[in-house]
Amino acid sequence: MSLIFGIDLGTTNSLIAVMEDGRPRILKDPESGDSMLPSVVALLPDGKVEVGKAAIALEPHLSAQDKQDKNVERDGRISGEQQGVVVRSIKRYMGLGGDEVADEDRHRYTFADFSGPVVRFLVGQRTYTPPQISAEILRTLKAWGEAATGEAVERVVITVPAYFNDGQRQATKDAGRLAGLEVLRLVNEPTAASLAYGLHSMAAGRVAVYDFGGGTFDISILNVKEGIFEVLATNGDTHLGGDDIDQALVNLMLEGLPAALRRDRQVWNTVRHAAEEAKKRLSVEPETRLELKLTGHEIARRLGRDEFEALAQPLVARTIDSCARALKDAGLSRSEIDAVVLVGGSTRMPLVRRRVEEFFGREPLCSLNPDEVVALGAAVQAGVLMGKSGDMLLLDVVPLSLGIESMGGVMERIIHRNTTIPTSARERFTNAVDNQTHVDIHVLQGERELATDCRSLARFKLGPIEPQPAGMARIEVTFLVDANGILNVTARDERTGREHSVDVKPSYGLTDEEIERMLEEAIDLGEEDLNQRLLIQARNDADQILGALEKQLNEYGGLVSAQERALIESLAAKLRAAREGGDRELIARLTEELNEVTTPFAHRIMDQAIKAALEKRSVEEVS
Amino acid sequence: MCSECGTPIAAELDYFAALGIPRRLTLDPRQLENLYHDLGRRLHPDRFAGSAAAIRNASLSATALLTRAFRTLRDPVSRGLYWLELQGEKLASDNQKVPPELAEMIFDVQETLAELRSAHGGDAAAVRDQIAASKAQVQASIGESLADLERNFARWDASVNHDADLIVQLKAILSRIAYLRTLSRDIERALEQPD
Repeated sequence: MSLIFGIDLGTTNSLIAVMEDGRPRILKDPESGDSMLPSVVALLPDGKVEVGKAAIALEPHLSAQDKQDKNVERDGRISGEQQGVVVRSIKRYMGLGGDEVADEDRHRYTFADFSGPVVRFLVGQRTYTPPQISAEILRTLKAWGEAATGEAVERVVITVPAYFNDGQRQATKDAGRLAGLEVLRLVNEPTAASLAYGLHSMAAGRVAVYDFGGGTFDISILNVKEGIFEVLATNGDTHLGGDDIDQALVNLMLEGLPAALRRDRQVWNTVRHAAEEAKKRLSVEPETRLELKLTGHEIARRLGRDEFEALAQPLVARTIDSCARALKDAGLSRSEIDAVVLVGGSTRMPLVRRRVEEFFGREPLCSLNPDEVVALGAAVQAGVLMGKSGDMLLLDVVPLSLGIESMGGVMERIIHRNTTIPTSARERFTNAVDNQTHVDIHVLQGERELATDCRSLARFKLGPIEPQPAGMARIEVTFLVDANGILNVTARDERTGREHSVDVKPSYGLTDEEIERMLEEAIDLGEEDLNQRLLIQARNDADQILGALEKQLNEYGGLVSAQERALIESLAAKLRAAREGGDRELIARLTEELNEVTTPFAHRIMDQAIKAALEKRSVEEVS
Repeated sequence: MCSECGTPIAAELDYFAALGIPRRLTLDPRQLENLYHDLGRRLHPDRFAGSAAAIRNASLSATALLTRAFRTLRDPVSRGLYWLELQGEKLASDNQKVPPELAEMIFDVQETLAELRSAHGGDAAAVRDQIAASKAQVQASIGESLADLERNFARWDASVNHDADLIVQLKAILSRIAYLRTLSRDIERALEQPD
């Protein structure tokens, strides 16, 4: 199996890592020697893109143009920044619909509109969605990984905040796909961190992982036992991080300055940078000076750590409230926690360390670099997928309840928050009136009672249903949350046993067609030949199934009839022949066919595995 | 039926069978957890990342079933309710009326909760103390009912000629616990409300 890489796609910085000789290692950019890529992307009007330090270097020039730049063209359309824009903290916008962008995040950039299912950044006449912008960061990491190892970076594990909802997770997977990566698994950041800490060597214990990063906060409570990392509960806020502490400091610094100046984006950028630096200094020094020259104004004052902490305290208090909720959901008291782990750059603040220590009543572990620990954990999980991390297993949870809108606009929970994943639930639906042809299902995510207060995930249309009297139709819908925390819905007619078509209308995010189109657009930019890439992808898929099938037939040959084997082998031979040719659609079709034909065989193998596991246990119990 | 692909495999296992244990009402939670972890280790999709899509899907649905089975059986109340369902019995229809032995307590608690809603300042603090006392009372009652439930689980498992009366009794206890848990949640919510 080719290598699988681990990626931490962070709000402030992003990293790539891989397992080497049984240990995770951060991969550095061989050119610069950097191990952290600033998650900063410059979008230029000619379609060019810069990432990381190169994008930061452009910031003073590109943030110079301000509102006057948002020209209303003759036809009445607003065009975006004419000279380009530098985007920071794109993670804050991942998976958001236009109407979900927080007020304070709306004025920072120019957006196409606030009504669509996905927010779009406007640069000249071009628009960019958050997954496209994140994909640029992933592409750069891919290049770093390839340069550092000499291996192709194709298959990856990407970390996400534990509290990311379905839409934010899907957007992260989309970003991977747009960067030409196969995202084998999304792993929650705090869980990844616990893997990196080598807590599997801990015989048994309960661990709290407090992850306070640049833009997000997560708390996860885990039960660690003999290599099994089982999350008991998670809580957090996907819009609470170091960025918000910087913003509080910016507000303080701009106090008393004229309104026009305070709204100026270039001023904001300069002051934000100064605020971030002051925050960092105050982690090691008791006081610092704020000195800044702005057009016509000057900021010059002393800032003590106590004053700064008073400013940050309300935000830190919110993280502690989250910790209390997570503990309650886990059914544990503070004294039952055996270890506390700190992750994320914001845990460098002495205030944060103090509050966490006070709350849990024990000194937190922070021996690993808080900026690297998540990427290291992603690599460990990549190792698990490659079968190289021994007997370790992650059992994560779904962070927010999933349900459907029932009569009267009430949210009916189907899968409760903190349920271990993968998990599934079944619901039966019927026709409410005679000869109804479709049943509409509105899927929601959240903890509130009313559907309108929860986040709309998708609308499903079941049908067509055969005409029949009201209440006679029997449609069983399975809601399945996979190991990535992403929902899949299938439906089946209980009478006929046939699969029902499920017409999915995601409420937010990109459709498959849009992603395809974005991939095609990438060729216009002369980046690579899409057809060639799709052909390679199709061949890889074919190789995977052919390789896996050969192994299965060798190991479990007894589970297929002669007739079935003949069918499988003739199809496999056809696929092998097609694979040598250049017709990717044929390869894809035969791969799909082979997959279908071998599905019953796959189930028998899994049943056998279950039986073997059960028998082995009963032998162990007896002996 | 496989939820992923709709292929008719052997009808989906019931939760006891999914964990490979006999259909008994008394279960040791620690053993159940060990069993769940052991099976999870072998069936989880992370173990099949390099396999064909059909195997990955089969592992996904097998693991989802395993999780559902474990979560249902580890809690004695949901285990009891599920077991009743397997016997073709349901709680819902008989669950409408308040269990008579709880009537007085439920009435008292509801009254105190109503008082809290209209109380202010110092009065509210006194009412809160009263609610905290009710909470302890409800918790104790839940504890007793759970012990009662376990005793009757053991009686059922031990008996050869299963007594229909015992099912009626199990239903009564389960319904009592359901009531008490709702009450406990109401109290908790009331205590969380700021003054």
